[in-house]
Parts: sequence; structure tokens; C-alpha cells
Amino acid sequence: MSLKYMIPASKFKRYLPKDYVELVDYGPFGKDYSEVGVKNMGTFKELVEEHPMCSGCWMAYYIKIIFAALPNPENTVTIGTAGCGRLAISQAAVPFVYGNYGDQNAMASGMTRAFRLRFPDIQKDVITIAGDGGMMDIGFSMTMHAWFRREKFTTIMLDNETYGNTGGQESGMSMEGAVLKMSPKGKNFGKLPAMQLAITAGCVYVVKMSPTNINKSAKAIRRAIFAARKLGPTFIHVYTSCNIEYSIPTPDVFKDAKEMEKGRFAFEEFMTPEAKELFAIVESKKKREVS
Amino acid sequence: MSKKITVGPVGYMPQSAPSMGVELSPEGKALLYGNIVDEKEAMRDAAKALLTMDNPTIFPGPQVLWDWRDDVADKSAAILELASEIPNCKIIPMPDYRPKYPKIDVKAEINPNHPNLTILDNKIKACVFIGVHCHYANLTLRMIRAGTSCYTVAMCAMMGHEEAMASLRDVHADNILAFRDVVIEVRNELGIEHTPTMPPENPSLPKEDWGSLTPADYGEYRSLIMSRKGEHVAEVE
Amino acid sequence: MSLNKKLVDMDYLLNEAPREKHFITGAQAMSEAVKRASVDMAIAYPITPQSEVMHLVGDIYAQGHIKEYYRAEEELGTMSAIAGAARAGVRLFTATSGPGLLRGLEAIVSWPGHRVPCVLGVLTRVINAPLSIQPDNIEMAYLMHSGIIMLHAENQQDTFDMTLAAFAITEKVDVYIPVSVSTEGFFVTHAKGYVEMMSEELAFTENDPYHAPVPAMDNEVPPARIQRDAPVQKSNFMSYLIHSVWQQEIWDSNRRAMKYIYQYLGGPIEVQNPGSDVMLVASGCAAAQAREANRYAQEEGLSVGFVKVRSIRPWPKDEIRAALKGSKAIIVPEHNIIGWLCKEVQASIPNSGDVIEGPRVYGGMTLPVELIMTEIYDALGMKSETLQA
Repeated sequence: MSLKYMIPASKFKRYLPKDYVELVDYGPFGKDYSEVGVKNMGTFKELVEEHPMCSGCWMAYYIKIIFAALPNPENTVTIGTAGCGRLAISQAAVPFVYGNYGDQNAMASGMTRAFRLRFPDIQKDVITIAGDGGMMDIGFSMTMHAWFRREKFTTIMLDNETYGNTGGQESGMSMEGAVLKMSPKGKNFGKLPAMQLAITAGCVYVVKMSPTNINKSAKAIRRAIFAARKLGPTFIHVYTSCNIEYSIPTPDVFKDAKEMEKGRFAFEEFMTPEAKELFAIVESKKKREVS
Repeated sequence: MSKKITVGPVGYMPQSAPSMGVELSPEGKALLYGNIVDEKEAMRDAAKALLTMDNPTIFPGPQVLWDWRDDVADKSAAILELASEIPNCKIIPMPDYRPKYPKIDVKAEINPNHPNLTILDNKIKACVFIGVHCHYANLTLRMIRAGTSCYTVAMCAMMGHEEAMASLRDVHADNILAFRDVVIEVRNELGIEHTPTMPPENPSLPKEDWGSLTPADYGEYRSLIMSRKGEHVAEVE
Repeated sequence: MSLNKKLVDMDYLLNEAPREKHFITGAQAMSEAVKRASVDMAIAYPITPQSEVMHLVGDIYAQGHIKEYYRAEEELGTMSAIAGAARAGVRLFTATSGPGLLRGLEAIVSWPGHRVPCVLGVLTRVINAPLSIQPDNIEMAYLMHSGIIMLHAENQQDTFDMTLAAFAITEKVDVYIPVSVSTEGFFVTHAKGYVEMMSEELAFTENDPYHAPVPAMDNEVPPARIQRDAPVQKSNFMSYLIHSVWQQEIWDSNRRAMKYIYQYLGGPIEVQNPGSDVMLVASGCAAAQAREANRYAQEEGLSVGFVKVRSIRPWPKDEIRAALKGSKAIIVPEHNIIGWLCKEVQASIPNSGDVIEGPRVYGGMTLPVELIMTEIYDALGMKSETLQA
């Protein structure tokens, strides 16, 4: 049983650092989502705690939501690539694969299929979490083809509209006209239509949003994971501002996210009829789905 | 016997033991200072180090710290029995392999990416690694040999480790107990009196109390949080 | 396996199981080895001359010898998917050629450091500009500094044996880095030769992902808070020594594979007449031609010997040095322009000036035995005729 790998050997419990013991005693592993989950953040030991992200980073905030929203954290693997996000993701108490540049969805394809071979009766959730550069520029072909192949895992794009980790260069998801490094005269084309691409490529559930409400954010993440288990690829395109490169004063980060919600990151949700049916079943159950 | 692998510090850029011609011991044999010897010989040398050098410590790794396999219960019990027979022995775990952020608590754990911090801070001169995955064990053993003067013993469930001063292979609960018996034997020969004592539990620090922080706690960075004369800070995080 | 095969260890499979002679191509030989290796998953992407191999592997997947198989988007996607699947703990195979190898190289060179065990077939081909699909093994030079284990097959039989052995070597707990099996495109992949094969009712014991030097990332093995692929920069208290010792560990693992090359393949080199006045050193397809030149030379009563190099990485420096001791001239025939094998040989012996740099053919040219004979005659101070292209 999966949980065994995180339960300390009885003889050694008193020799482990507190942090690890508390993770099992007070963490979300094997617990009902109604006890843990985003609604109760702050009352249980979360999977991501200390991380090196910048002060006021909206991406770090959203990453905490991802991990608090996981339906089955003890059976989840995340995959990421170069970018700010992995600095926080790699601090989570969930296995994280850091591969090469933009290869997260190709890796996830291999991993998801391998898990289904080895564990036909256990649901292992694979989630790729990468930035706009990793997903839509350098990893574009691997992102798209994983969707075309109907690979059953969840893709989350943390869109800060720039290459934050390398110092603020133009990305495919930057706005037209944005003056950034490597676009000194302003970007001369608009944002890639990520959501439409995902729908066209066959994702069964796609959301675009600015995460200003944790419950709404968590619901989208959980839906994406549930649909990926049974139906096919799912995609979440989320606005996670870079307050450093876009000079958003820290106290205004939330206000900025609110404004985005009224603008280009207005909430949009796409689901196939099958996904709709599935959500009706899953969400009617009060209990947390245990695989 | 010439020692191919010796207690460090061997210097800034260590040469790896395999590149110095050290090969893993065949089944039924052990490695001592890089040479293939009988298990008993390696155990006796390791026991002597653990009994005579300062602050002997056992570093259990993930494979024995968590209850993922049926053999863990026996193995962990055996490790504690071994520890109880070594005077002043401590147990400091290596719970995982990620570099610690923001910083390691060197009294509470050891990490393969910077093992020297724990070894040096605790002035550990002899140690045992057990239950660490081989890749990380090799990295950490080499770094310890590079930068510290600690005698290393590897008790490996698989093929052993060239980097350790003493390397025992195919180690299961029985072998740990056999090593405990050797420790007792050598201890008696050395005339060290000892009643079995369990090592102290993990001294994890209590949670830091941010409420009682004063600007002085920020040291050289205190100027960053103190407003300058005439400066008015309206909002803070 | 659904086909009720008898699972046996590699020692029995390679060295004891009764064999029957077949007349098959190199591509068939590679896929026949895969058939007997209890492979969990193979990932394919087309490129000439490799495609043939992965077509055949697709066929054996359809027959049930492999559990999962798909065509990926391109080579970087292929090689990345291999890396993802490896972390989930399955046995893997893929193959590529020339430009495809270079396209996948970013992922391939990261496999050893990520401790990805898998077998990579390299069916060699020129690297484009101008475009050509012909045999030439210059791509192997790009793999030589990656940490990956490199076997080089002379013929169809070697391709079969080395591919099978590779599956055992890559999963050894003291190795656990990928193994590549290279052979020349067309010359071997598309030509038939005799291959002695054991029954396909036999297969290699299945993979145990927990008998490994790193934890599988499958939520079944501790630590829960895992970082198998630790980014080792930007930690407040970390020394870069971690990356240094990590790199050392990969090359140590490469070195440790040597004993298994002895165990399964009879050693990294094959030697005939060591210490003769003239020694021929060759690998892969060039070894077949050098072997033939050696036979001619024996018929003519010349003091000539022959070394075939099976393992390019780990490099058998000591073995080569011993075999070449006392010889006056060393000839290194190769299928590439830069002479990567020649450079390795030069670096392995005390008097590198004794090494004749060639003969070399490339761009798809064949390597006539006469070309090697000419060098032998020159080295022995005998007259010879010039061979015309």
C-alpha cells in the first residue's frame, strides 16, 4: 500500500526530525479532503512550506493551492522544467521530476504509461507544472503532441507572461507591445492562444483563470485531475504574475490579479460532455475520492 | 596492507575510489581501506573506530527509516541494538536527498548534498551509513572523505561502497546483529565498560518564534528592516 | 508476459541456452534481442536507417512480447519520454540514427546523470549537410563524452548478443546508466548474416525497479520528500562539490560496467596475434573488414595481428595497451572522418607515433579490404597498387 512508504518505521520515529513526523501526523496524506484541502489551509501541515520565491510572488501562492488541492497527494508525481516555479515545487513533499528544458509533457507521457503498466489497479496522478516559456515556447511541440496523443495527465501552465527566472525576457505568452528583455522595441505579436490550442488538440477539460479565489482554483485543479484519470488530457492556464519583472508593488499583486480576472484572464471553462458527466458523479460524492 | 582509501580530509577535489582502482568486493567479502578482506576483519576495524573515535554516529537512510517493506522492522530494531552497544552513539537520520532549504538543522539530520555540515558541526569522527540509496551514499561518502576527518562505515543491502573506509555488502538484520556482536567483542578486548544505552532522540529545534524577534536578530541585515532617520514607511508586508 | 515465456537470468540466456542458426538482417537481430529481453516499453520515431528496427519492435509489441509501444513526436520527445518512464521503473528500449541522435542528444546526455537505465540502439548514419542517409559512424563521437556505456557491434550476431547483454548491464545496481548498442546502418542493419539465437520461449528475468541505486519515483519507495533530480544550485549552504562527485559517480558507474562486459560478452576486446609487427585495431563494421585483412595477411605470412574493440565506453585502455605492446605499426580503419577510435588508441599507448591514422572512409563509402592491405604493405615497407574509387 502506498501510504507505507511515508510512515516512519516505529523504532525510528523518535529519531526522525520533527518535520517528517509531522508530515504524516498532521499532513494531508491519506486524509479526507474535507479535513484538509484548501478550505483548511493553515490548520494542517501543508506539502509546501518554506520556499525561495520572491516576496509577493503570485506563482508561489498558486503552487501552494495546487498542492493543497491534490485529491491524492500520496500517489502523485509532479514534473516541471526550468523556471521560477520549480524552486517552490521542488520543496513540496511530493516527488518532483526536473528534467530538461520544456520536456515535461513528453516525460509525463512516458511516466503515465509506465505507471499504468506497473500499477493497473492504483491511480497515480501525474501533473506537469511549468511556465509559459516551458509550456508554449521551448516545450511547445511536446506539450501539443502529448495532448494530440490523448495522454492521461494534467498540464498546468503558470503564465507570468515573461521568462521570470532568466531575468524577464519576452515569451510567446507576453502581450503584444510589451517591452521586455529581448523585445527592446516591444513584442510584435500577441499571446499564443493556449486555451484554443488545448481544446483543438483534444484536451477534455480546459480552464483559463486568474486565481483570486482559492476554492474556485482548487475546484478547477481537482476537476482537471479527475478528468485526466479517466478521460484524457486536461489543461489549466493560470495567471501567476511576476511582480518583479512587471514592477507590481507587492501590496498590489492581488489587485493586479483581480484586474486580470476582468480582462484577458476572465474565467473560461471548457469541458467535453463526458467530462461534465464525470464531474457530476465525482462532485455528488461527499467523500474524497480514494483510488 | 596498503591503504588505498584513507580517512580524510583528502582535499579540495577528491579523486573517486573507483578511479583509483578500488573495486567492489565479491559476495561474502568486504572492503577495508579499499582492499578486499574477510567480513570479520572489516567489522573489527570498523568496530574499533566506532569505539575509540569521537562522537560515533549512525546515519540511517530512507530505506530503513520508513516502513515500506516487511524487513524494515527487523532491520531498524537491529540498528538500534547496534547503537545501544556503542558508547555515546548518536543517531542522525538522512531522511531524504534534496538539498535542504532554507538551511539544514545539523543536529537533527544529515543531507547527501552537504554532509560535511553535519559531520563537522557535531565533530563526528566515526560513522555508519545504512539504508541510503547507493547513488547518494557514494556521493556523500566521497564528500566526507574530501572534507572531513571522519571514518566511514557503509552497511549496504546491495554491493557495498568503494568510498567507505569499511564497506559491508548484502547487509540485512542478521548481519547488523553480527556486527553488534563484533562491537561487543572488540569493546571487551579494549576494556571499555559499557551498559547498553539507547541513543538520545532527535533534538529537532522547536519552531522559531517570530513574534519575539528583534532587529538585532537580523545582524548585518538589520539596516534593511530599520527605517532611516526621517524616512516614513507607510506599509509593510 | 502474456506469452508464458520461461524467464531466465542473463548468464543462462546468453551463454548457456541452446541456440539455432538463422539468416537475418541486423535490424532483425536487434529486434529479436528485444523480443527476448522482457522489455516493458519501447518508444519509436522514424529515421532511416533506424526505422526498420523500430518497425520490427512494433511488430513484436503487437505480438505481445512488449507491453507498451508508441510513436513519439520527434527524438527529443522520444528520449524525454524514456527518461520519464524510467523514473516510473520500467525496462525500456528505443533506437535512432545520425541526425535523430543529435536531435535527442539533450535528453540522452542527461540520462546517465539522471540514472536512467535503458538500451539505446544507434544505427549509424552520416550527419546531414549535405543531406545523406548513408552509413558513417561520426555520431558516436558525440556520445563518447556523455557517460553512456557504448558497445559497438561488428555484425548481426554481435548486434543480437550485445543488445541482450545491454539490458542486463544497464540495470546492474553499481552501473544503472544507459547502454547504447551501435552498429553501422545498411552495412549491418539491412544486410543479412548468420545469427545464432536461443528460443523465443526464453526471456530475461523481469525488471526489479527497487534493486536500484536511486529510488523509483513511483510513490512506493521512500523517501516521500524526494528529490532524485536535485537542482544543486542556489542552495544557501551547498558546495558545488556535489555536482563534481555526481559527475564522478557517473563515470565510475561506466567503469564498473567493465566486469559485466567480461561476464556477458567475453571482454571489451577480441585479439588475434597480439604484439605482431603490424596491428589492426577496429570496431563495428570496420572490424569485419580488418578481420578479413588480417586473414589475407596470415595467408601471405605477414606479421599482422588484429584487435576488435567491442566496448568504446568503458574504454579498455589496459587491454589495448597490452595487446599492442611490441608492435611497430598500428592501423586503425574507421567509418568516419575524424578518427575517434584512432585518437582513443593513440591516447592509450606510450608511443602514439606508431599509430597510422587510417584508413578512413565516410559519407557512405565502403571500406574495401584492399584499402587496409595497402596500409599493411606500406607499414611493412612493401610495394602496393593504389586503389581507385
